[in-house]
Amino acid sequence: MISVKKVDNKPLNLLERVYLLEIARGIAVTAGHFFRNLINPEGMPTVQYPEQRIPLPGNARLRTRHRLKIRADGSPKCVACFLCRTACPACCIHIEAAEYPENTVEKYPAVFDIDLSRCVVCGMCVEACPEDAIAMDTNELPGGALARPDMMLTKETLLRDIPSTGDPSVKGASNRLANEYLKTRGEQ
Amino acid sequence: MTGFFEANREILLFTGLTAVKIAVFLGAVMGFTALLTLAERKVSALMQDRIGPNRASVFGFAFNGLFQPAADGIKMILKEDFMPERAEKLFFTLAPFFALVPALALFAVMPFGDYVMVFGCRVQLQIAELPLGLFFVLALSGLAIYGVILGGWASKSNFALLGAMRGAAQMVSCEVVLGLTLVGLMMIYGSAGLQNMVRSQGGLLFGFLPAWGVVYQPFAFILFLTAAIAENKRGPFDLVEGESEIIGYFMEYSSMRFAAFMFAEFVEIVLVAMLAATLFFGGWQVPYLYETGFLFPGGAQLPLNHYLVSAMQVGAFAAKTVFFSWFLLTVRWTLPRFRFDQLMGLCWKALLPLALLNILITGAVMKLPL
Amino acid sequence: MPTLTIDGQTIEAAKGTTLLEAAQQLGIYIPRYCYHPNLSVSGNCRMCLVEVEKAPKLVTACSTEAAQGMAVLTASNKVKAARRDVLEFLLINHPLDCPICDQAGECGLQNYYMEYSLAKSRFNAADKVRRPKRRAVGPYLALDNERCILCTRCVRFCSEVTKTSELEVMERSDHSYIGLKEGTALDNGYSLNIADNCPVGAFTSRDFRFKQRVWFLKKTPTVCLGCATGCLIEAQHNENVIYRLTPRPNAETNTWLCDYGRMTYKAVRAGDRLTKGVIKNGQIDLKPALREAAARMDEARRSAAVLGSPWLSVEDNAALARFAKDALRTENYCFDFNCGQGIKDGILINNDPAPNTSGVKPVKAACGGITLTELSRRIAAGRIKAVLMEARAAALIKDALKAAGPRLIVFAANTGEIPAGAYAALPYASYFETPGTFVNYQGLLRRTKPPVEAPEGVKPLWAVVNELASCSGTSLGLDSVEETLKGIYIK
Repeated sequence: MISVKKVDNKPLNLLERVYLLEIARGIAVTAGHFFRNLINPEGMPTVQYPEQRIPLPGNARLRTRHRLKIRADGSPKCVACFLCRTACPACCIHIEAAEYPENTVEKYPAVFDIDLSRCVVCGMCVEACPEDAIAMDTNELPGGALARPDMMLTKETLLRDIPSTGDPSVKGASNRLANEYLKTRGEQ
Repeated sequence: MTGFFEANREILLFTGLTAVKIAVFLGAVMGFTALLTLAERKVSALMQDRIGPNRASVFGFAFNGLFQPAADGIKMILKEDFMPERAEKLFFTLAPFFALVPALALFAVMPFGDYVMVFGCRVQLQIAELPLGLFFVLALSGLAIYGVILGGWASKSNFALLGAMRGAAQMVSCEVVLGLTLVGLMMIYGSAGLQNMVRSQGGLLFGFLPAWGVVYQPFAFILFLTAAIAENKRGPFDLVEGESEIIGYFMEYSSMRFAAFMFAEFVEIVLVAMLAATLFFGGWQVPYLYETGFLFPGGAQLPLNHYLVSAMQVGAFAAKTVFFSWFLLTVRWTLPRFRFDQLMGLCWKALLPLALLNILITGAVMKLPL
Repeated sequence: MPTLTIDGQTIEAAKGTTLLEAAQQLGIYIPRYCYHPNLSVSGNCRMCLVEVEKAPKLVTACSTEAAQGMAVLTASNKVKAARRDVLEFLLINHPLDCPICDQAGECGLQNYYMEYSLAKSRFNAADKVRRPKRRAVGPYLALDNERCILCTRCVRFCSEVTKTSELEVMERSDHSYIGLKEGTALDNGYSLNIADNCPVGAFTSRDFRFKQRVWFLKKTPTVCLGCATGCLIEAQHNENVIYRLTPRPNAETNTWLCDYGRMTYKAVRAGDRLTKGVIKNGQIDLKPALREAAARMDEARRSAAVLGSPWLSVEDNAALARFAKDALRTENYCFDFNCGQGIKDGILINNDPAPNTSGVKPVKAACGGITLTELSRRIAAGRIKAVLMEARAAALIKDALKAAGPRLIVFAANTGEIPAGAYAALPYASYFETPGTFVNYQGLLRRTKPPVEAPEGVKPLWAVVNELASCSGTSLGLDSVEETLKGIYIK
């Protein structure tokens, strides 16, 4: 079934059909803006973006540039489970997993790239992460770049500690394994 | 040798003066046109609460985008000059000139002032004093179609051809109206020379109202402006380009060839603005300013030097041109684009009968014993 | 023939049929962990509990034989509750390893939890019983005792299928765990089947470990070419890379797959993969290599020989035969291979290491040619100046080659296959990259379906042969696979 919505378009009266008055009204609007902005350029709502910035709201819904959280020993919390890559609608995450020889966490990302030029900043990766390892709380807006490689976030650039957010985070499935491993290493 | 100069003194003086006038006037027009490309972007920006181009800078000084036309020009020159493989090489190359040259030639008859005394010589502030200047204007503006048609056809591109076809139909239709709206003025002034028409607008009506064309023919002014914008292919009648649909007759053009088309369009804006000022708003006339100075309706007088009067007249012409240029930009950025059938309907069903009606009424009023 | 009803549907089951099998015949799926159709019944996981009317308790469907007049319910509230509770028990001590576990995505616990439980855990994650984490057991397997649910499929596989009994349940009661018998290593030639059989992530493949998540893998049914057995397999691949091979159980040939067969995919992307031509140990582009090879064959003409190969598909052998007959017009060509075929170890591995010994026979029937011994004789006698063949087939005539040393022009997929002293080698697409027809030792037709694409510029062997012929000025007209099979009758 196609639903049909009937729109009651009012027939134009003669004055409107002649169009001249309407044109004058239109020009009054645009010219009004023109002169107002000409006389008082500071009154314009436009922000000169790279130089001027509106402070970010900083609430929980804000999604900014990604980061990978790190554990107390400096290793990435990420275990290369590929769930972010699976959830990513833009297919912008590239992960290559590797194995720790001793650490009971076993798995870590040898390569973790996010192609910002493809990222749609939807936050699905953060939602999907079972380890609380990826976050979008850096308060940095993913901006433009002059070359494609500049848009590529690598593991090295992603790994970052932000103590004010309560890092290192204790959430995540493999956290227990990591703590146990740290404890055994401490004893040695 | 001296004998030659003596014998041909008149001609040499005339040629030299004309050359100087061409250099000064055309130079001013070209400079203004270049600024107009910036103005178009700035005006549209400001009326949309934006800022517009302000990044092009020389040694770190941007002057709020003043260097943008220069930057545009450099960019255009440096771009690849591309020609489609199957294009008609000769006409493809010629088309931009067909667009640009008639537009520039039109300034020859534009009176930008009354006259000025230089070393005892009376120098007319008009490059060519044609007695039938208005017909020269109509004739040359008719030539502008060739640029469009040749450009569209020689590109051998369907979109370009479509744009050219639209352009041809639109310009042919609007030219008729454009011509007819001016008949009323010619009847009133009894002349087709532009300088004469401007001079005729120097008087006063009812003792206080400047006897400008718009006072006699307000209706014709609206028709003229509409037809002129359509002839000029500017918004809201820019279907020839119609970026969102067909891109236009210059689709296959790049680099300076494309720039020539674009420049021609802006030159035509200046032209329409000057024509509107000349024909309907007294040209270089300043209200109550006569050759010797101001003479206000109340009887107050302000005698002025000849050069000051001339400068004010030229200034008035420039100010009117600037105003109408701004007005054309404003119209283009205010109104949405017409559909092609709407434009044709407007031309043939509204503008043309109204223009004829205007002539009829003008004639009737002139014959009435008033 | 007892007649019983399962969920209201009546079925006449053969004597000895269990309830689980009877339900399966009706299309009713009963969840199971320890049950495996090809292993003995153990009945320890309790996942397959069903309700039988008039029975005092729920019974295990996998170990209860169908009896006359039974009324079985597989979806009653009682059964559902039982399944939920069994899952809860199994998950009490199961570690939260899913992010680092290779089984995730094809895990029995995950799948059944989503289908039959969805209950919140009532236990504290910190109180979970700890067991040894991953360790290598044998060359192909890793064992993680913590994830094990003690279904004993692995133990039964080792004792019943391979009969090597390396694995056992150690200790007893809640202390029990799967362990390797002292002094043994889990290297019985079929060990990766244990990883397949394990319903959880206790046994995982060391080869596949962390390479790819299973849900990204696409599956293409194809055929194992490791030996003449011709097992049906499934190639699991993603983005043009094969990651693992798994068996496609079938009644005729195979339920399992040997470790050797599982590793055959590695040659496709091995470091020595040949993608260019080789002339005298130097790699050059295919075109000039083809021209050189064609020139050498032309030089020899009637004293040139062509040898087919039991490692090649019927199509490629047929193309070689066409080349010998129509391009070279020589009589020295041989498509005569014989090998005593048969299952060597009683499970899968065949005496004949080549996959297509039986498949070359139709080519011989259609095109004729001399016998292998005759060819060897002619080569040894020095009557043959150049031989065109597939690299691995060189082993079949290696004595003759050693004796006379004709010019060898071989087709090779990997440089490791090229016999020493070969004059030229030409690359061709492996049967993971191009379709091919094979006939296994039972005479069953086996067609491979390519899961991945060949490296750029590498073509199927029949296409390379076609180009070779056109280099020496003969058009064989081999433009498609169908064209190569013209006149070849495969029963």
